[in-house]
Amino acid sequence: MLRFIVRRLLMLIPILFGVSILVFLWIRLLPGSPAEALLGERATPQSIAQIRHQYGLDQPLYIQYWRYLVETVGHLNLGTSIKTFRPVTEELQQRFPATVELAIAAMIFAVSFGVPLGFLAAKKYGSAFDHGSLLASLIGISIPIFFLGLILKYIFSVRLHWLPSIGREDVLAIRSHPTNFYIVDAIINGDPEALWDTIKHLILPAIALGSIPLAIIARITRASVLDVQNEDYVRTARAKGLPPHEVDSRHVLRNAMLPITTIVGLQTGLLLSGAVLTETVFAWPGVGSWLKDAIFDRDYPVLQGGILFLAIVFVFVNLIVDISYAILNPRIRLS
Amino acid sequence: MSVAQLESHEIQLSAPSGGLWADAWSRLRRNPGAITGAFIVLSFVVLAVFAPLIAPYSPKKVNLDALGASCCPGPSSQHWLGVDQLGRDELSRIVYGARYSLVIGLVAVAAGLSIGLVLGAVSGYFGGYTDSVIMRCMDVMLAIPGLLLAIGVVAALGPGLWQIMIAVGITNVPVFARLLRGSVLQQREQDFVLAARSVGVRKRTILFGHILPNSMSPLIVGATLAMATAIIDVAGLGFLGLGPQDPGTPEWGTMLTQVDLYLQSAPFLAIAPGIAIVLLVLGFNLIGDGLREALDPKLRGRTGKFKAAKTAEQALDEVHTEAYSIDSEMVPR
Repeated sequence: MLRFIVRRLLMLIPILFGVSILVFLWIRLLPGSPAEALLGERATPQSIAQIRHQYGLDQPLYIQYWRYLVETVGHLNLGTSIKTFRPVTEELQQRFPATVELAIAAMIFAVSFGVPLGFLAAKKYGSAFDHGSLLASLIGISIPIFFLGLILKYIFSVRLHWLPSIGREDVLAIRSHPTNFYIVDAIINGDPEALWDTIKHLILPAIALGSIPLAIIARITRASVLDVQNEDYVRTARAKGLPPHEVDSRHVLRNAMLPITTIVGLQTGLLLSGAVLTETVFAWPGVGSWLKDAIFDRDYPVLQGGILFLAIVFVFVNLIVDISYAILNPRIRLS
Repeated sequence: MSVAQLESHEIQLSAPSGGLWADAWSRLRRNPGAITGAFIVLSFVVLAVFAPLIAPYSPKKVNLDALGASCCPGPSSQHWLGVDQLGRDELSRIVYGARYSLVIGLVAVAAGLSIGLVLGAVSGYFGGYTDSVIMRCMDVMLAIPGLLLAIGVVAALGPGLWQIMIAVGITNVPVFARLLRGSVLQQREQDFVLAARSVGVRKRTILFGHILPNSMSPLIVGATLAMATAIIDVAGLGFLGLGPQDPGTPEWGTMLTQVDLYLQSAPFLAIAPGIAIVLLVLGFNLIGDGLREALDPKLRGRTGKFKAAKTAEQALDEVHTEAYSIDSEMVPR
């Protein structure tokens, strides 16, 4: 197992290397330069040249790439945002927790509804409920996230005034955020009001972001339970007179959990890698909306650092899924 | 169910009559979901083709008189879906919008498919060094979140219709390359390939004449489902303001960009294009699901109870292949 993990870790190196080159070259293909984006209409040839020199953009490409690599790997320094003049790592520390918090909330929503829904559908296989849940999950994956977000906003914020529609907390609130995970912060500060405020802000974006994983999880759960139900050991368990709920919990669900865990892991990786649209609709200050803005601002350091960071997160989550899959499923052969 | 029952059931089932395609077609026709999906998609195709005849107004004509006192008058007998903030007829814009979604989706998928097909086939058939290089490149592309990659391509090329198609097409390339590679790898080990090799058929003929035609069915299913995703992605890019730059263009995603401001007074402006997207995407998803069931060779000539067990197994397969495809070292015993 250890050899397998080490090998997989080594395999990540060329991938991340490739990502860094790709990102590096790609953002240099973008029309316009950060100097122009920064200076706007006041740009003069001299000021542009000065900024280009300041950020080393007048050097040959390979030197720029080498410097970027040394800084990133050697000093864990992702540079300074051209727009806000703040270190990219510092902004990441603020924005990534927002994305993680949202992703976890979305996943909790998706799993807590998706698994029971899929399980019930499989139990009532062929019934109206089964067909209904299949259709619902198909509709679920057909709704664009941003449309669902707009509708949720309209119903629960504009019409009913139940929930806030943008941001992570009340704009007027002045609170300290030691970890930037606002829920954790509220608990550390012992502030129930802040906790409730944070949760209220989380609900709508989490539902919007969790809708697609919910539909996928429900489908996989249904299929997986249907599959396990026909296994010999389930029949044996029934034959020896185990009460139905024991059969379900100890034999059916436990075995059906394997593909479900896998899909939950893979989906979490996708959610962590930035929910651009959800974050845009709900003005959520996470990584996705940050990178989207960086593209429009030609903020090279933010793009380079941010996308590389997201790619690292994504491949690591997938690696963890693979490893846990291998641990959970003894039938997998590791060569 | 006992073994004897199973066997008798299997014998009773009509043996597959025609070829794979005839058989698949007959099963597809009996699938209510697929028929509904086909009906939805065809309706949108009709809307798109005959848009000038169907739409009551011009989609781009600004008509401030229609606005009245405030933005925006809702559905009425003259304007079934109301008018937008510039007094343009919403229904006409939806009808014309079908053209954009269908064409952009089709071109994007076709572009991604053709490049991915070549890469996947070459990778799967030749294996070895070629395979490693191509697949590692695909891994790199997959490591960057899809929508960000698409946004990045649009940012590099500038916003617009063509740029969106290219962007969504590029994000599709690794998906198809992997799909076809997996399929080719599977076919390569089949007996008919061994037979062809043993009688001295040339490599190229084996690849194009024997392996590729047999690898088509997962690709067709993949392409249909990719249409659904492509339409969503295109709308998403439009929503972010990266779509056609002429604000008059009735692209559904672009139409949703502005509605945030009018959500309070004119929610129908958000609902109409949104529902249109959902319906069209749902149509493609239904067809894709139906095709997947119809084209599975293991399902030929089978219906009823077998189908249930089969769908379950298939879904499992999907999860497994997804998990395995991340790493080819993991082989189910």
